[in-house]
Amino acid sequence: MSLKTDVTLHTASLRRYALVLTRDATAADDLVQETLLKAIDKADTWQPGTNLRPWLFRIMHNTHISDLRRAKTRSDAAPDLPEPVVGDHQHTQLELTQVLQALDQLPEAQRKPIILVALREMSYAEAARALDVPLGTFMSRLGRGREALRQIVSGIGKGKLSVLKRKGSL
Amino acid sequence: MTQDPTSDQDLGLDGDLLAYVDGTLAPERMAEVEARLARDPEARAATASWRHHDNLIRQMAQAADDLPVNMRIAALERELAAKLQARKRRAFMMGPALGRIAASVLIFAAGWGAHSLYGSAIQMVGGAYPQFVSATLAGHQAIRQAALQQAEFLPDEMDTALDWISAQMQHKIDSPKLERLGYEVESARLLATESGPLAIFHYRDGQGERVTVSIAAHAPGQPDYTLRVVRQNSDSMAYWTDRGLDYSIIGSVDPGRITTLAAAIRE
Repeated sequence: MSLKTDVTLHTASLRRYALVLTRDATAADDLVQETLLKAIDKADTWQPGTNLRPWLFRIMHNTHISDLRRAKTRSDAAPDLPEPVVGDHQHTQLELTQVLQALDQLPEAQRKPIILVALREMSYAEAARALDVPLGTFMSRLGRGREALRQIVSGIGKGKLSVLKRKGSL
Repeated sequence: MTQDPTSDQDLGLDGDLLAYVDGTLAPERMAEVEARLARDPEARAATASWRHHDNLIRQMAQAADDLPVNMRIAALERELAAKLQARKRRAFMMGPALGRIAASVLIFAAGWGAHSLYGSAIQMVGGAYPQFVSATLAGHQAIRQAALQQAEFLPDEMDTALDWISAQMQHKIDSPKLERLGYEVESARLLATESGPLAIFHYRDGQGERVTVSIAAHAPGQPDYTLRVVRQNSDSMAYWTDRGLDYSIIGSVDPGRITTLAAAIRE
């Protein structure tokens, strides 16, 4: 597979990841563009022979962190979810809304492992590399995050559930 | 890790359950985990929930595939691919692979020796043939001196190779396109010879027979070479000048076949 083909495939993956991170199509494309610009600038740091995907995702991860520090775009953009996201089933749409809002209750360190693994684009080790954390730390954050997400969504996390209720989503 | 957990926190830290949900559980562990899930409703609920949430998140992510094509992103993709290709090439030339390539170039030269051409080629350097043909056949010394300036491209990099070689030679270099005659390109290289850059394309047909095509800029002020076909023992070669470029093709085939291949390149 040529590098051009690789880059195209990985960019599609970056776009998916960015859409979940930003919840907004325009913001997602902005994040992808910013990531690619930085990747072009940092091309000499890529080690030929190594997997390009974790390298690109790592750049996106760092770019997104910088963006979050500059502005809390994610929460502001939440009402602009692309339509349709999961089809016409209202129940599924409601579930997705709940899961996304529950994701927002999690710390960034737990949210990103959940999203990266859900995309099924990378192995655990590659995803850990993308987030620049040891594999053990990644697995711990993934597991704790998944359980926290489940508790929030199912209403077991009482305090966080009340936050969702105040937002009028349940 | 294989004990039944007693708290939600333990569930999240159970590597077997995570791997089960993500489809990465080792087959030999599958039966044990499934047995555990059958008797542990909390673990069963947790894994079902994790998988369901993953599916929802993934469905949302896949909505990105339906977004309109972003031309700016497409342009950046191309720019990044070119940058990474350049990075790969530099690393290739500076890294351990260089030795491999230098060796392969020597094999290239020595290979023609095995075809009883090498000795003849040395004589050609004396002036019996145009210099670009000599360089193709026996530019052993020039190749060795210029080893650091070589680059090699694999078959899936031919578009990039042609762009890069064209830029280096300051001539538009087109693929010899021998695929239509049953050959597949094996690699493309740029060698720095005493007479300037020399593009080399290695081809092989279905029977494993190799032919090599070289392209070089024609020396200013020199008359063009009309097509000539030369037989050397079991090998044949043809060379000519066309639109400012000198071509040669060499292979262990008869003169008729080499003429056909030359004609295909000239089309």
